[in-house]
Amino acid sequence: MAHHVEPAEQVDLAPLREVLASQFRPRDSQEAYELIVGACQEAQRLYGWVPPEAAQAIADHLGVTINRIYGLLTFYADFRTEPPGKHFLWLCHGAACYVMGSSRLIEVLRERYGLEDHGVSPDRELTLHVFNGCLGVCDLAPVIQVDHHTYWGRLTPDRLTAAIDALKRGDPVEETDGPAG
Amino acid sequence: MARLADRQDFERYAAAVHQRWERLWAGDRWVISVGISGCSIGKGALETYRHLELMLAQEGVPATLRQVGCAGWCFAEPFVEVRAPGAPPVVYGNITTDRVPELVHALKRGEVKAELALGVRAEESFGGIQPLSQHPFLARQRRLLFADAGVVDPESIDDYIARGGYRAFLKALFEMTPEEVVAEVKASNLRGRGGAGFPAGIKWESGRRTQAWPKYVVVNSHEGEPNVFKDRRLLETNPHLVLEGLLIGCYALETPHGYNYIGGEHALAVQRFQEAVRQAYELGLLGDNILGTKFSCHVRVRTGGGAYICGEGSALMYAIMGQRGQPRTKPPRSVEEGLWKRPTVLNNTETFASVPGIVRHGGAWYASLGTEQSTGTKLVTIQGPVKRVGVAEIEMGMTLRELIFEVFGGMREGYRFKGVQTGGVSAGPLREDQLDVPIDFDSMTPLGGMLGSGGFVVFDESVCAVDFARYLTAFNRFESCSKCNPCRLGNPALVEILDRIRNGYGRPQDLDIIREGSKHIIELSLCGLGQVAPMPLLGMMKAFPEEFDAHIREKRCPANVCPISEATLLAAAGDD
Repeated sequence: MAHHVEPAEQVDLAPLREVLASQFRPRDSQEAYELIVGACQEAQRLYGWVPPEAAQAIADHLGVTINRIYGLLTFYADFRTEPPGKHFLWLCHGAACYVMGSSRLIEVLRERYGLEDHGVSPDRELTLHVFNGCLGVCDLAPVIQVDHHTYWGRLTPDRLTAAIDALKRGDPVEETDGPAG
Repeated sequence: MARLADRQDFERYAAAVHQRWERLWAGDRWVISVGISGCSIGKGALETYRHLELMLAQEGVPATLRQVGCAGWCFAEPFVEVRAPGAPPVVYGNITTDRVPELVHALKRGEVKAELALGVRAEESFGGIQPLSQHPFLARQRRLLFADAGVVDPESIDDYIARGGYRAFLKALFEMTPEEVVAEVKASNLRGRGGAGFPAGIKWESGRRTQAWPKYVVVNSHEGEPNVFKDRRLLETNPHLVLEGLLIGCYALETPHGYNYIGGEHALAVQRFQEAVRQAYELGLLGDNILGTKFSCHVRVRTGGGAYICGEGSALMYAIMGQRGQPRTKPPRSVEEGLWKRPTVLNNTETFASVPGIVRHGGAWYASLGTEQSTGTKLVTIQGPVKRVGVAEIEMGMTLRELIFEVFGGMREGYRFKGVQTGGVSAGPLREDQLDVPIDFDSMTPLGGMLGSGGFVVFDESVCAVDFARYLTAFNRFESCSKCNPCRLGNPALVEILDRIRNGYGRPQDLDIIREGSKHIIELSLCGLGQVAPMPLLGMMKAFPEEFDAHIREKRCPANVCPISEATLLAAAGDD
């Protein structure tokens, strides 16, 4: 997928610096190394991805090289080194969700919305992360976590497209929670 | 809150919180508890909590509203437990926001809603509601680690202490030497709950024997397998139990350095464990010179970034050290050279959570539970179309059939049992006629299955064995850390062959190529994960040979899942 970088939007590093100063205070170099992943997670929480400026700020703060930071950012599946779209879809592809049909959801997202794993849709509305582990809400399988807080559970391809269309319009999508029991 | 200075101080504090706990349950206010955990939040528990808060205020019900952890019954989330003054607590299941008004109104009238109830927390039936312990989900369980699940507030150290928490740690600290603690763990024959089943006591003993300092004790709460969610539920529902186990571990190793490495995806588990650590520091159960003794202990929480491989011991340690989480060759083993090249004892979350019980009641008591070779209880999770999805804690030795069809209620309406995948992505499935195997560390292995970390995936006729094997192999391909060639190149090759079969271009010799390639991956891979990566595929081939045959020889997919049907059509069209 082609790199799509936001046109020269300045990243405000102040909130990250504040978090680093208050919560990431290593007493020795060992602890500095231990804190890298946590600091990157904070940056991703703040910006939705880890911009190069943030990675450099973390490297400077912890006294480690930028190479070390990118070594980790590119190793772990959770991190993004490119900006995400407006909405974040975290699709559980654990065994429970697979058995209940998550592969069909991945297909729909690819064919209808042009979404690949870790990719952004062409209209920059949606980001997809396919999670290989288990989100642990197996009673709702197959399930997608949306924007880090809501869950769309017991999805079918039809319900998924209805939910995404509602999400894009800004409408509530509660009715897709699926039947109980 | 001041730090507790010594044992008497702790006893006074424990007596006070116990009294407060008793008063809560004997008082004339209503006590309403809502289970808030990862799975119940997904099903709207926070909304239920807010609705209850509003409704109770509106209706003027004098109530104490509290949060508790998950109780394992994912199928009944969100659950609400109501204790009316003078009545035993009744647990109601599936209380979504729309049912809140109905429930509150009924309660206000002094009625119980028997049709919504799971059970009553009492020995005898109440208002036509059976005791909770007789609910089919719980009747066959033996709950030690989950005994207080759904009872205590996971974010309250007081609740934990009121229920007898940290007693085991105090017993170890004041009445036992570190050697005695290790001896008890050894006597219990507690085996590692992460999958390998290595006896924890022996590991602890080797850790003690190694002469290098500092030493480290690490909890492995990474849990990156696609089919298991027990550790995070344990951390979400009773984090202090794990912390107490870790403290005892640090005491046994005589080290002040404890770690818990938790998968970054398990946000609530991370948050609750961190809160537990904070509270323990505040109370003086962590820190320097705990309760006036010479023992000090500091616990650090580290989170993962979503790499399955970091559940492997040596990879996990590299991950903590801020390197890419890739395993290394052994020896030296971790108990000799682990974290920061120092002796490190690493055990699974569930293993540590079992330790307080062992210290309190003795290793012999624990060894009397379960089977001879696999003692104690095991947390197991189920996924797939069964009636009661959730986490159960059973005594080792129960058969898989009892577990699936009694505890978890069997298949949902309209689904027919086809098989159950065992051992995560590290073993094969079992068929219907193999379900009478007991659940322990050793019995399933000869059949091609494995207990692993206790995650079982039930699948029905709509799942194709070839496609499922492809899914499991693709997981291993994706999660291979790429350090060693057999795993890095072998798994993609297996997926490629499977894709050929799924698309209708399979050749009879493909199965031999799979077997040969798998042999190389198994024998030559660097770490435990690579060495078992082809097992699910080989297991599927062994359990469902006729389906592989149908794909290869008849060019059809019996479950109608694989793209093969389209390929056949295209081929037919090409012939014209």
